[in-house]
Amino acid sequence: MTSTPDAAPTVASTAPCGAAVYFDGTSSARNVVIVEAGAAGLRILDAHRRLLDEWSYPELRRMAAPDGVLRLGRSGETLLARLEIRDAALTAAIEDRAETLDRGGAAERRLRRKVVALSLAAGASLIVTAIFGLPALASRIIPFVPLAVERQLGEAVDKEIRSVLDTQHLGPTFICGFGPGETPGRAALDKLVGELADAAALPVRLHVDVVRRPEPNAMALPGGRIYVYDGLIAKAQTPDELAGVLAHEIGHVAHRDGTRIVLQTAGLSFLFGMMLGDFVGGGAVVIAARTILRSSYSRRVESAADGYSVNLMEKAGGDPRALGAILARIVSDKEHGIKILLDHPETKDRIAAIDAVTVNGPTTPLLDAADWNALKQICAPLPAKNATTQTNQAK
Amino acid sequence: MTTVDGVSPGAPTAAVQFLGREGMYWRLRIKGAALLVLTLGIYRFWFATDVRRYLWSHVEIGGETLEYTGLATELLGGFLLAVAILVPLYTAIAGVALAFDAAKEATAAIVFVLVVLLGQFALYRARRYRLSRTVFRGVRFNQHGSAWPYAVYALMWWTLVAVTLGLAYPWAQASLQRYKMRHTSYGDLPGEFEGTGSALFLRGLPLWLLVVGPIVIAFLALAAMINWDALNGMVADSENNPLGLLMGNIGMRVLVVGGAAIGTSIVAAMLLYPLFQALMLRWWISGLRFGAVTVTSRLRTGQVYRIYLRFILFVLLFVLVVAAGGALAVFVSSALAGQHHDSALAEVFASAITLGLYVVIALGVSTIYQVVVTFAMWQLGAQSAELAGADALDCVRASGAPSSALGEGLADALGVGGI
Repeated sequence: MTSTPDAAPTVASTAPCGAAVYFDGTSSARNVVIVEAGAAGLRILDAHRRLLDEWSYPELRRMAAPDGVLRLGRSGETLLARLEIRDAALTAAIEDRAETLDRGGAAERRLRRKVVALSLAAGASLIVTAIFGLPALASRIIPFVPLAVERQLGEAVDKEIRSVLDTQHLGPTFICGFGPGETPGRAALDKLVGELADAAALPVRLHVDVVRRPEPNAMALPGGRIYVYDGLIAKAQTPDELAGVLAHEIGHVAHRDGTRIVLQTAGLSFLFGMMLGDFVGGGAVVIAARTILRSSYSRRVESAADGYSVNLMEKAGGDPRALGAILARIVSDKEHGIKILLDHPETKDRIAAIDAVTVNGPTTPLLDAADWNALKQICAPLPAKNATTQTNQAK
Repeated sequence: MTTVDGVSPGAPTAAVQFLGREGMYWRLRIKGAALLVLTLGIYRFWFATDVRRYLWSHVEIGGETLEYTGLATELLGGFLLAVAILVPLYTAIAGVALAFDAAKEATAAIVFVLVVLLGQFALYRARRYRLSRTVFRGVRFNQHGSAWPYAVYALMWWTLVAVTLGLAYPWAQASLQRYKMRHTSYGDLPGEFEGTGSALFLRGLPLWLLVVGPIVIAFLALAAMINWDALNGMVADSENNPLGLLMGNIGMRVLVVGGAAIGTSIVAAMLLYPLFQALMLRWWISGLRFGAVTVTSRLRTGQVYRIYLRFILFVLLFVLVVAAGGALAVFVSSALAGQHHDSALAEVFASAITLGLYVVIALGVSTIYQVVVTFAMWQLGAQSAELAGADALDCVRASGAPSSALGEGLADALGVGGI
């Protein structure tokens, strides 16, 4: 049991007192002491009632301790002096006198509520930054990205894209327009692209290729490379429909959207991968957040490219509404419609916006019938598969 | 209880107790998990600090409890510092990768090594932060020495472990623990680690044979089964060659033998994991030294198996409850979407429910793991330990100063499991 000396009454003080354990912070020596809760502070006395230390109430701090123990330290102290009190009556007496000890933890709870509120605000501000700040920031940075860097980026992306798209490993024959019987189609394509490029007058050189893919789609890479899928040409009923899609992709090149996407993706990775931390694990929440935000970005980027297409088609003398017509046809085709919808959200709104354009006077198709027929056949059927294997082996 | 003159002489051993209560810890963890979701993870610094304060202050060694003096704001500061370092670094890496597109593989390999090194650096520095915030009897622990040699050392050891299919693991552990403990001290009492790699190897070898063994045997058997000359011939020939039939035959055999071996390995690994944990914890605790103070662990393997059985039970119950809740949510949302005949709305509902279920299950299982396994292992580790020569703890002089939380921040930002 505690062997508190019965000498207490001899001291002319009625201050509550009791046994405690004291560590002075310079050594691990365990001192069993008597603590007196005086008027201004705690008096720490050894077994012979010699004063070891005095701690004033305002400097007292409650330190982490198990239940039933009041562990005290001093604020602003580099030494880790500690006082441990298990005596419930003494604990209550000290808590009555020292406001800093926050009995019941009300101050701590208030502080914690503030932390939660600030964290919520920080989270909300990061989301707002992601939705509005990142696209604005990307637009500001883009003028400072040299075109040479963009071209290099495009070449790096091109290699990846080619290997992803060329699922049948066709190699060079994956690109149409260079095989037997395909050259007139290529010439027609060059003519169409030339007309659009003249009207656009871009600082970068456009490099358009048609690839053997059945989907009605087209894509622009950073640096001026554009891939048109064979399936899109099959869907197009007039040269202006194809030209409208091409003009849309040229819009991506003109707006430098490839670089924009790289910058935005990097920003998103920073905000959602690093700042917020993957608190759930597995990355699914991060991926979901990125997907949602990216589709919000792409909506803006796509309508900007549509606007560019309309302007460019007017400048080139074609029908600016043809883009709307081919988009509507693609959407109505359910088989491929879903994929397009995923890439280009709210296609119906886009079509409506394009249809709202007023066309000044009659337009002439950008290609004549003969060139259009040749372009339609830019992808001649490939020879049988066995033959390809043999040509590969022959190399 | 205690006498005025402190510990009674002639009693050099000290018991270790864990005073934590599971109910309290459940409350702490569940509240923290909910706040993590609400604040998108920003609350993690406060959560980690609360958890550490609770765990530390409920470990009692020879009648005195540990104390965690770290602050959440320190962790937040460390994290922001880490971000300030990593963002320019990542930007530079991206720039270099773009400039040297041709040497892509080499760049990727260098970046990988760099990130691993940085991760090990972060873990060592994080350990320093935690130790310097651990106070016992008014004296702090500390860790000295640079973190870079440790990072290089760790990278070399882990490479060796990978190359030897895990056979070098015991020596890697012994060596890294020795490095860490030699740079650790309690006040002026120097730390040391006396566990040996060979002792761990002998105990762990049967486990290795049962888990990695089947795969090695299957690999060797398949290598012996294949007629290499015929195979070379086949590879040279075209696909349409009749030998392709034989190839298909061997492919089938590879599939069966390989599948069986991998299946055996996975089952063995799952069944033996608690045993492995018990073995590691016992070996690690028993190897710890502080000056003349030695520690021994009397951890029993059966206790660890009981912990994991309880974990499985809890997870099963939890998943059942969540599945019922998810089914209800799907039912309600489909009724709502059906009313409006809106397929887009239905799609939004479905995505929201999927994401919600994922978050609930992932956070729920991790919370269950933290309480039912980690907390219980903490308890088991503490209570199984006994200190001999504990009177050396009475006259330790304070030394060292609190260190920065940069390591914690780096470990968090790199995702190497700091906080």
